[in-house]
Amino acid sequence: MIQKKICLLGASSVGKTSLVKQFVDGIFNEKYLTTIGVKVDRKTLSIANTELNFMLWDMEGNDSYNVFQERYLRGAAGYIIVVDQTRASSLHEGIDIHTLARQVTTCPAILAVNKNDLPATWHFDDSEYENYKRLFDLNFSTSAKTGSNVEEMFSALASLLLRLEKNDITS
Amino acid sequence: MTSLLNTLANALEQIVLEVTDIEASTVLWLDGDSDWANEIFPEAKSQSAFTISQESAFLFDFLIDAKAIWQQQDNKKLRSGLWTEVTTQGVELHLEAIAIKQASRNLLVICNQHESFNIQQQTKQVAREVLLSYDRLFLKSEYLHTRLLSILNQPSAENSQILTATAKIIENAEFAVIVASYDFNTSIENAAALRLFSQDKPLHKTQSRPIDIILTLMKNQLPEYQRLLSTHSSWNGELCWILPPSTLKWLKIGFHPVKNKLNDVENWIIFANDISTMKHLIQRNEQLALQDMLTKLPNRFAFWQMLEKHIATKCAFYLLYIDINDFRRHNEFYGHDEGDKLLIELSKRIRVGAKATDYFARVGGDEFAIIINNIDSKQACTQVIDRLLTQLARPFYTEQGEHYNVTISIGAACCPIDAVSAEELMKIADLSAYSGKNKKQNAIQFYSTSLRKASFSAIQIERELRQAIKHQEFELYLQPIIDVKTNHINKAEALLRWHHPKQGLISPEHFITIAEKTGLIINIGEWVIERTCQIAKQISELGVNLKISMNLSPSQVADDNLYNHLTQCIEQTQIDASLLELEITEGVLVDDYIVAEQLLKKVRALGISISVDDFGTGYSSLVYLKKLPLDFLKIDRTFIKEIVTDEHDKAIVRAVIGMAHTLNLCVIAEGVETEEQLSFLVNNACNSVQGFIFSRPIQLQSFITLLQQQNQHK
Repeated sequence: MIQKKICLLGASSVGKTSLVKQFVDGIFNEKYLTTIGVKVDRKTLSIANTELNFMLWDMEGNDSYNVFQERYLRGAAGYIIVVDQTRASSLHEGIDIHTLARQVTTCPAILAVNKNDLPATWHFDDSEYENYKRLFDLNFSTSAKTGSNVEEMFSALASLLLRLEKNDITS
Repeated sequence: MTSLLNTLANALEQIVLEVTDIEASTVLWLDGDSDWANEIFPEAKSQSAFTISQESAFLFDFLIDAKAIWQQQDNKKLRSGLWTEVTTQGVELHLEAIAIKQASRNLLVICNQHESFNIQQQTKQVAREVLLSYDRLFLKSEYLHTRLLSILNQPSAENSQILTATAKIIENAEFAVIVASYDFNTSIENAAALRLFSQDKPLHKTQSRPIDIILTLMKNQLPEYQRLLSTHSSWNGELCWILPPSTLKWLKIGFHPVKNKLNDVENWIIFANDISTMKHLIQRNEQLALQDMLTKLPNRFAFWQMLEKHIATKCAFYLLYIDINDFRRHNEFYGHDEGDKLLIELSKRIRVGAKATDYFARVGGDEFAIIINNIDSKQACTQVIDRLLTQLARPFYTEQGEHYNVTISIGAACCPIDAVSAEELMKIADLSAYSGKNKKQNAIQFYSTSLRKASFSAIQIERELRQAIKHQEFELYLQPIIDVKTNHINKAEALLRWHHPKQGLISPEHFITIAEKTGLIINIGEWVIERTCQIAKQISELGVNLKISMNLSPSQVADDNLYNHLTQCIEQTQIDASLLELEITEGVLVDDYIVAEQLLKKVRALGISISVDDFGTGYSSLVYLKKLPLDFLKIDRTFIKEIVTDEHDKAIVRAVIGMAHTLNLCVIAEGVETEEQLSFLVNNACNSVQGFIFSRPIQLQSFITLLQQQNQHK
């Protein structure tokens, strides 16, 4: 079975653990419990008759209490920058992390704008937001609470990785 | 010995593995024995060497870094950081691995870090919840503040419409919002305000209004309360409301004036958030309770405590109150994220400039305070301040790499010379910083009793200036400017005078700085433009085409409305715009180059000429002279004063005249008082002169008489 390491990155309290929990167990817990260090979960997906095992590296959020560590990205097939649409600062922090990540890897990157069950409180103009989105291979508006686009995001990432792998083999 | 090590490893909840094959990640279990270890390495039960599998993805990945350690000759170790492993029983283990190279042996220690994990989780949980709450509160009140200001500042709408719109906006806010009149009569308060300030009082007792409670708390807990009111300043901070027997609430207050064009307060917007829960969370962690979240410096409360401790030691010290100039403008221009970055960087630099024994804290939004220990002389304190300013002299950089400079205002007060209580010291240091504030430059102000008097006097002047604008107590005097070739008046400078109802005629040097500081200069400046146009019209109707020049202040140059006002006045009076001239100091041209350039191009297109006032006093950069559309240079009176005797002044004036003529600019010499000065200027090709030798600034009617006399003698 094909195994892929996927890292979830972002500022603290944006919902990285909740996205993994929703995707792996279909559960959402309202109570916020901050992640310490790293926790690796697994889930197998079947895409076009191909089995793919995702190793999901759920990492402690980056803030003044925990700096981003590039080394955890080693061997990653893709990473997801999670941001919280009720906190504009989380997008800026997400972009900063993405910039740092890009210095060590060229693997596919997804922007997950999480908490879409809540009203967005940021007021970016369209071009600014579009410019941010353009930095990523895929973009999703998700809700770990309702499950909106969570499965779709991981499936799209899986398809993209398979397609890239196929291209590698054929070329 | 092995047994002892085993016991020790078990006590520390560790297992020690020896690496037997680095490449294959094969290890042998040396010491430690526990259920959790067996859970993660079930294959180790056989007591023989085993290979660490990919089952533990985190550990397997860490082995790549570990191999680099084991392959070296030197003793070394590397920690993996915490990770969580879930056993087959569903139990979460919080582990950390340490790769060790010691005496040529390669070891891998796995530690069960559940205690460290729990401590970290509790601490960070609190810290992050607090960060989140602050973030949300800040965003919401900031947004509401902006919306309320835009509504309350609408001049055209009916008062009742404004109130209805405002009430609608605040009604569903989660936190208390109060809109009050200038004298603190509540106009609107939302349901959250009434809830927050509800009191457990018997029915027959009158409930205090939320606004009264807030004002009383501010009065009792804020040394700067009176200054905030008299200077119409905003304030953000925390207050503690205790109402026995059962009320103890921590409130986060935002206190903002809504001012009209005359800088009069028309309304106050007050926000109040109950942050008691947050405080409780913070108090679970002593360090966080006394720490500023953003800069990691001690906060206002920590500073207050330390200040009281220092006072109790009875050793002399200085208290410095530091305020960033124009921080609000910086935030508006670069955004709040850059504002936060500036605060962090600035605090680091001040830290470098201060000694380790000095106590340094963030005591407000853009305010810092330092206790400088063991000094009691102004001179020693100045040396410390110089060190701090040196640190701040280097440019700051935005995320995009743009550089900018920051200036600060420092107020200094000495304990015990100036005050001996924490409250009084903070109050006078704050007052000193505020009094010395100068937007363009660093300012240092030591406290003195004369400063206190001056500060009260400034507040009085500001109040009287507002009255002066309302009651039209100003007048423009005219001072002739003489063409050296014809010896005739070819221009006049309009100079402002204030007919004070009690003090009589007041010159601008006594009130312009205060007008500039308080923003009243915009109103006064608008009046000057209107009146200058009227005067130009009146003189032109006498059949004399005489240019009238008027002075523009830095705030006017930065005012978006200036150009429109100017064109409106020209249209209303129907004068030829070429009868007007604007005088701008070179400081404004250099500091606000881009703004000045845009303005000057537009006004010059109308036909208005431009002169550079006080030339030579400020800046050495003369690049702007070539780039900006200018017509005249006015040599400052300080160079003219000693021109007959001082060789340096002679050389400077000759050089300025020469340079100006090369750039096709005409030169006006100011402050000409003697025949000798005049003779020097005439001999050195100066174009025009202005000064007492011809006439002091005089009233319009006298000026017209002077003009008529001149024309009779032609």
